[in-house]
Formats: sequence, structure tokens, C-alpha cells
Amino acid sequence: VSRLTEGRRGQGLRGRLLAAFVLVAVPPLLLFAVFVIALVSDRLERAARQRLGQGLEGVRARVSRLQREADAAVAAIVRDKVSTTAISDEKARTAAAELGASHGLPLLEIVDGSGRVLSSRHWPAGVGLPEGDHEVAGTSDLRWETIAEDYGAAERLAVVATHRGTWSGVPVVVRGGFPLDAEVLGELSDLMGAEVALRDSARGRWVARADSPLAKAAAFDPSKGDGTADIAGTVYRWAAAPLGASLWEVVAVPHTLLAEVTGGVRRLTLGVAALALLAALATALVLSGRIAGPVRELAARARGVGAGDLEHTAVEASDEVGELARAFASMTHELRTSRERLVQAERVAAWREMARRLAHELKNPIFPIQLSIETLRRALDQNGAQDAQRFQSLFRESSDTILDELRSLRAIVEEFSQFARMPPPRLAPTDLRELVERVLALYRARAASVRIETGLADGLPPVPADRDLLARALGNLVANALEAMPDGGTLSVKTRAVVEGVALEVSDTGPGLTEEQRTRLFTPYYTTKKGGTGLGLAIVQGIVSDHGGRIQVESAPGAGTTFTLVLPAAPIMEVVASDT
Amino acid sequence: VKLAPRTGGRITAGAVVLALALGASGSARSALGPRYGGELRIALAEAATTVEPSTPRGTADRILAGLVHETLLGVDDEGRPRPALVQSWASAADGREWTLRLAPATFHDGAPVGSADAVRGLRRFLRSESAAAGHLARVLEGGDEYRRRSSEALAGLTSVDDARLVLRFRVPTAVPLAPLASPAAAIVSARGAGAGPFVPTTPPSGRGLSATAFGRHVRGRPFLDVVRLIVAPGDRGADADVTPTAPPLPPATGLLLLILDPAAPPLATGRARALIAASVDRAQLARHFLPGGEPAEALLAPTMLPGLPAAAPPRSAASPSPVAGRVVLRVASDVPQSASQRVVAHLTALGLEVQALPAPVAAAEAGQPRLLVWYPEVAEAGLALEELAALAGWPGAVRSALEAADTVRDFDRRRAEMQRVEGTLRGTHVLVPLARLPLPLGGRSGVHALRVTASGALVVENAWVEP
Repeated sequence: VSRLTEGRRGQGLRGRLLAAFVLVAVPPLLLFAVFVIALVSDRLERAARQRLGQGLEGVRARVSRLQREADAAVAAIVRDKVSTTAISDEKARTAAAELGASHGLPLLEIVDGSGRVLSSRHWPAGVGLPEGDHEVAGTSDLRWETIAEDYGAAERLAVVATHRGTWSGVPVVVRGGFPLDAEVLGELSDLMGAEVALRDSARGRWVARADSPLAKAAAFDPSKGDGTADIAGTVYRWAAAPLGASLWEVVAVPHTLLAEVTGGVRRLTLGVAALALLAALATALVLSGRIAGPVRELAARARGVGAGDLEHTAVEASDEVGELARAFASMTHELRTSRERLVQAERVAAWREMARRLAHELKNPIFPIQLSIETLRRALDQNGAQDAQRFQSLFRESSDTILDELRSLRAIVEEFSQFARMPPPRLAPTDLRELVERVLALYRARAASVRIETGLADGLPPVPADRDLLARALGNLVANALEAMPDGGTLSVKTRAVVEGVALEVSDTGPGLTEEQRTRLFTPYYTTKKGGTGLGLAIVQGIVSDHGGRIQVESAPGAGTTFTLVLPAAPIMEVVASDT
Repeated sequence: VKLAPRTGGRITAGAVVLALALGASGSARSALGPRYGGELRIALAEAATTVEPSTPRGTADRILAGLVHETLLGVDDEGRPRPALVQSWASAADGREWTLRLAPATFHDGAPVGSADAVRGLRRFLRSESAAAGHLARVLEGGDEYRRRSSEALAGLTSVDDARLVLRFRVPTAVPLAPLASPAAAIVSARGAGAGPFVPTTPPSGRGLSATAFGRHVRGRPFLDVVRLIVAPGDRGADADVTPTAPPLPPATGLLLLILDPAAPPLATGRARALIAASVDRAQLARHFLPGGEPAEALLAPTMLPGLPAAAPPRSAASPSPVAGRVVLRVASDVPQSASQRVVAHLTALGLEVQALPAPVAAAEAGQPRLLVWYPEVAEAGLALEELAALAGWPGAVRSALEAADTVRDFDRRRAEMQRVEGTLRGTHVLVPLARLPLPLGGRSGVHALRVTASGALVVENAWVEP
């Protein structure tokens, strides 16, 4: 128990030191981590916004450039070719293809005033038929053009320029330009490092490269300007800007990249913080061990001193704790020296007291023996054989006196011998109730004038005790109490549970003790009784002490006396172990 | 190689050798006429699907069938039978029984062509997917039951002796022997060898096939030593002797046919189909989008069935009545893309939303709008109309009209009946004839006597090349 307590005390100090370290180390680390994560997230967010903005700007720039090129080429065609060329119907069919090729326009068509295609490079199948194209609302630069594709035609977005002129005297519209198709958007995507696409919000369709994830976003509202969208399990951050009334340019970057980087920084920062925390904890453990170790050792030493162990052992420590250890060692040394002196003095005093008691005890029987022998010699010298009868009577009387005193001497020797030969207790679980009843049974016959009361508590735990020794101690107390009440009274024996174990009270209603008697009560050979040896209560105290218990006395003149034995109630296993 | 040259072959060959020896010029050599020997490389856009006798699925199949196999009979441009493995035929029982006499001929494996081979070949033919086989089964005694596999007996087909076989019909028919001209009715030996003018020397593969001249062919050894079919999509076969990029060989025997499946809107109404049929400017289409093409108003070529409507004059520029709806148009891969784009443009101009999807030639099955180049399995008007009626899903009274016409043996009356059936079929506007176009193959200069049949087969049997 003491070790445990000691351990807990040591752990408490170490724990407090560790807690102090943690409290000092963790908040700054956490603050640092939060700051770093917030900083990196903010920078990455800014970078993503910048990338999206650049993407939108890049699309607009590409559209503008294509439109300028288309405008210049179509203007040149109208100025140099169409307006001045008289052309046959047959040649007209292929004119757009030839003009488009020579002016670098993949899309070129010539349309008459009624909207019929006279010639087309990108949709030769439409010649003679109404043009199938239509403008993107809100802009004149972008059109949905019908372009020949495989076995049919497809509607493709194009950047176009339109000029009016006359061709063989017929008013015509010449329109040429470039497709704004998946290839262009794929090229822009690669250039921008982001997904670039166009969204026709009116028809709910995308213009994007084939593998663009944006093309998989069926429900997409670009009118919000920006946001995030979960497309096929991947979150994208996107921004959009209008190119026409219902046509939007959309640029998107995987949000997961941002999340991954932020997560990576968060993990890294938390990892560093955790490492720093571990380092702080390790340092705290070492330092607290170096601080708490000597303190714990000093505490153990102090408890040892309290228990009477004054042996000096050096505590290795430096600084203030070392100074404390050295002061403690000096104090212990002083205490040990004082105790040795005290013990020596007490031993001398005890010898003196024993000598006095011996002298006193021995003097009492010796003096009658001496008187009896002198009386016999004197009678023998004075009367001789004349008065043999009187001499015999005197001899018998004197020899009886001598024998009585010799018996007293033997009793005294026996008493001292028992005190000296007090055996060590053999502890075993002992039921106090049974013990008390057994002892009282021995004394009931000798206590005819005394009323005996018992108050034995139920359910008391067995105490580890030597039954014989404890019975002897209880017997001594009961005998003392009966002797203190020669004219009758009440003897009370009670048991009860206390914090340390079990208390056994023996009370009498005798004359009580003075203060001086009470302080010397347990001193060997001190007695207030005529013919007592003064060893009874000393023996009781010795037995109780050998059981790990204590004895206390409460008494006042005229108020009776109460002796209380407090015995520890140790666990059975421990008791058995001791017993074995 | 031991040759069995046709009549006059030795003289011609000798003349060629003499011309070479004299160091004559190319034009002088050409003027000398056909010569034996040489190799003809034919570049094709796709590989043949099979070397077995079957209904051809495309140009490669038709060429291969003509090279390797021989039928009992052929038909001329007007659908009349001409000799092949059968050298003569005679009818009895008021036209219900026909006896065919085989010419002395040999298969590529050396086995003689006998009547048992002919019977075996015709029995296989009757159970094939061929439309001509369906017609023959319908009129042959026990033919229907045999074709449906409900009976193994076939009373209408018997072998008299090694050289003769007899066909018995339930009723007298106008064209009893024409179905035998189908490539699917080719005769093979018991070991599967053909009897055509060329012997395949390599198995057919995705890269092509080689064949050498068969010296014991029923009509004599062909002039060429070797014919190679080279599968070369795109321009990769440009150095071949016969290529898709060369000027196509006349005549324009293929029919660019728009099939408007009436099963679902917007083509379910006859008005919508009529508007679509009328919207396509066939003259413009043929002139500008089909090199060598001709506008077509009728389903059959005039050579096969004269007296049908000629090409209509160019349409007016007025906007046609609109037709709304969405059409998924399957376009066979042998349709020129420019022509398909033009047709789609016309449909789009009408207001239709058209999605044109390419499809294999062989996948142009019934039941969906499609655009294809159609060649008759057998160039005979009645059989060709039956094929077309099947493509249209046998609309209305066409079947009964065709069956009725088949029993008319008077030539002029039967022609009139056929014209009426063609008009009925065309009037449904399920089949919209757009243009006639030649086989998309042409020979380089120096390649002579290539011929294209009315059923779209390239005949190289009589072809020869200048050295």
C-alpha cells in the first residue's frame, strides 16, 4: 500500500509536470498547424481562382483572335473575289471550297438573298438548299454551323465573320470562319491546364473535347458564375462567363487537387506537430523524472524517518533538490544522533529503574527472611534446649515466613523471566468476539461483585492475531480492571470497527488514574498496586505493538479507566502469508 | 501450267508474243486484242464475308462469287436464262417440268460436275436466305415444305442420270429457271470445290485473296493468270489495276435506295413519306454527288423492266411542306458519303432532325430507315421486285400481285403486270429510288474487257491486261 501510495504521489508529480509540458507545447503547435493550413488553403484557392480567370480570359482571347482572322479573310474574299467575279452556276458550287482553301478558312459559304446556299466549303451537300445555320443569340461572332460529317451533317459552333457583296450581279452574304469545336477546346484545355468547354444553356448541351468530364455534367447551370460541381464522382471548381445570350464559356479544375494539397499540408503539419508533441513529452518525461525522482526518494526517506528508520542514504541530486536532499540528510543524521543519545539515556534510566525495582522487590522478602533467621538464632542462644517447645514453635513460624518470602522471590523471578522471554506473535485470522467471550469466561468466577457487560459488534472482519498472546493481553486488562474494583463495579468490554481495523475497549468504573499515573502507565516495573511487578501493561503494550496495533488509555480520577486496543484488519491472504 | 485455251486463244497469244518480240508500242499491243497471262489486282474497300456460295452482301462478295463459283444458269440483262454449267434445257407438261442437261465440266478439285452435285447444290440453295431461293421453293413441288425443314423429301428436284436433272413445278411459271442464276445457287463438289473460272490459292482473309486461272473452266481458261483481291481501305490500293478511285465502270446498275420505315413516326404517314420522296432533287444528286450516277425515278433499271417512269425534271426552288420529327438513318458503308450528306441535307431542309449512322452493308436489315445501294440478286424483274417488296416489308397487295404476275407467261402481259407492281410498290413511298450508280470500281488503262453485270458483279473472266 505504501509503495502504491508512494507511486501515485510520484506519478502525480510527474503527471503534473507532463501536463504542464503539454499545456505549454500543444497550443502553439495547434495554432501553428491551423495557421499553416489556412495559409496554404488560401493560397491554393487564390491560385485556383486565378487559373479559372485565366482560362475564361484565354477562351475570349482565342475567340477574338479567330474572329479577327475570319473577318480579314472574308473581307478580302468579298473585296477581291466575289464582287468582281462573274461565275457560272457550275463553278459556283466549288467556289467556296477553293476560296476557303486559298484564304485559310475551313468554314466558308456563300448564301443568296433568300437564304439558299450557293456554295459551301464545309457543307457542300447543302448547295441549293436553305442554310441550316443559326446565330448564337446575343452575339454576331458565333454561329451554329451545319458541317458535313461522315454520312450526314452535324451542327457545330463556329467563330464567323459575315460580309455582304454581290456575286455575278446577285446580292450575296459571304460567311467564313473557324470551328470552335472539341479540338480547339481540347487545345485550350491543354494550354490552360484546366477543362475548357462551352455550354449551351438553352439546349442543355456541351461543346467540349470527347473526354472532358464537363460533358458528363447533364444538369449544369452556368448562370451562377462559379461554384463547385460533382461530376462522375469528382468535385470540380468552375467559373463561367457568357459568350452569348445562352452560350457560356466554362472553365473547371478538379477541386480534389486543392483538397488533396490542403489535406497533404494538413497531414504534414499535424505530423510535425505530433512529432514535436512527442519530443516535448519525451523531454518532459526525462526532466520530470530527474526532478521527481529525488523528490520521491526524499519523500520515502522522510516516511522512513517517520517510521523510525534513521539510516542515512545519500540521494543523488543537484541544484535545489540536491540542496534539499543534503539538508534532509543532515537532519536525519541529527535525529539519529539524538535518538541514540536518548536510547542510551533511556537504557541507563531503565537499568537504574530495574535496579531500583529489583532492589525494592528483593529487599522486601529478604528483610523478613533476615529477621526470621536472626530471631531463630537469638532464640537458640537465649533459651537453648530448655524451652525446646517454644523454640520449635518459633522455628516453625520463622521457617514458614522464610518459605513464603522465598516463594515471593520465585514469583518475582518468574515474572521477569516471562517479560524477557516474550515470543514473536504467530498471526492467524482471529474472531475477536470468540476471543473476548473465552477470556471473560475465565474471569467471571473471580468477579462475583463486578457486573460484566459486553458490546460486541456483529460482522467484524477477522483480525490477524496470535490468539494466545492477544488473550493474555486482554486477560491482563480484565485482571487490572477487576483489581481496580475490589468493592464492585462494572466491567465493560466492547468491540467496534474503526478506520484502521477493529477496536477493542475494556472499561472499568474504578477510581481512575491521575495524570502522572496515566503518563507512566506503560513504563515497565511501574505499578500502583501493592505487590504488583509493573510489567502487566508493558506486556500488553508489547503484544499490541507486535500485532501492528496501538493502545490508548482514557482515564480521570473518579471516572474509571478505558483501555482501547486498535488492531489492523489486514487482508486474509496477507495474514495467511505472514502466518506461513 | 497446262492450259486449255478457248477458241482462237493460241492465235491471239501468238500474236501478242510476236508483237512483244517486235517491240511494238503499248497502243499497238492493245490493238492486237486479248492475251493470256498477267495478273489483275483489284483493290476493295472491304473483305469478302465468305467464300461459300451465298447471297452476296457486298461488292467483294459478288466479285469473289463470280471468280470462284459457277451456277447452273445465268441471266442476260433482260432476265432471260443463258447457259452456264447447264448447256441446254427443255420443258414438258405444259411448262410444269423442266429438264436440264449439264455441260461437261469439272470442279477445281478435278471431280466432274454431275447431276448429283447439281441436286445437292440446289437443295442447299433452297434452304439459304436467298430471296430467289424463296421464290423457287414457292413454285417447286415440295419446295415450301423442304425450305421450312418440315420435310426432307423434295419431289420437284430429281436427277435423271449423271448429266440430267428434272425440276417439277406446282404450276407453270413465267421464269422457272431464273432463280438458278443466283450466286447462292452455285454448285460445288462434294469436297466443297467450286467450278468458277479461278481457283483460290489462299484462304480468304482480312487482307484479301489470290486466285489462279482454272484451265478446265466450263467456258474455257480465262485470259488472266492470277487475280488478286486486295483489301485496301481508303487510298492504300491506289496502285492496283482496279480501284475505287478510278472512273467507275458503266453501266450504273446499283440503285441508291432510301427506305422509309413506316413503323414509327415521322415516317408512319404516307404523306410524310411522299413529301420526303419528292423533296430530293434526284438530278442534282446524281449530277453533283454521284460520279457516273443517273437520276432514278423507278425501282428497276430500264434494261430490266422497260417502260417505267424516266427521271423527273429538276424540282422548283419553292420551299417544300415541312415534315417534323427525328430520324435515325442507317447508311450502308458502300453509299458514297457525299450522296448520303446530300440526302440528309434534303431531309434536314424539310424540317427533319436527321442522325446518319454508318452501318455495314450486310447490316441493312428491314425495320429501320436506311440508305443503301441495292443490286438485284438475280437480274430478272419479277425476282428483283420480290426482293424489293421484302425490303419494304411486303406492303399491301404487292405479294398477291407479284404471285399473279408470275403465272402470266405471255411476255408483254407479264411486263405490264410487273410495271403495275413496280408502280404499286413505289407508290407506298416506303422505297424511294434516288439514283442509279455504277459499281465503285474502275480499271486503269491497259485493263480490258472488265464487265459489270446488272446484279453488280464484276466479271473478270474475259478480262485481260496489256503487258
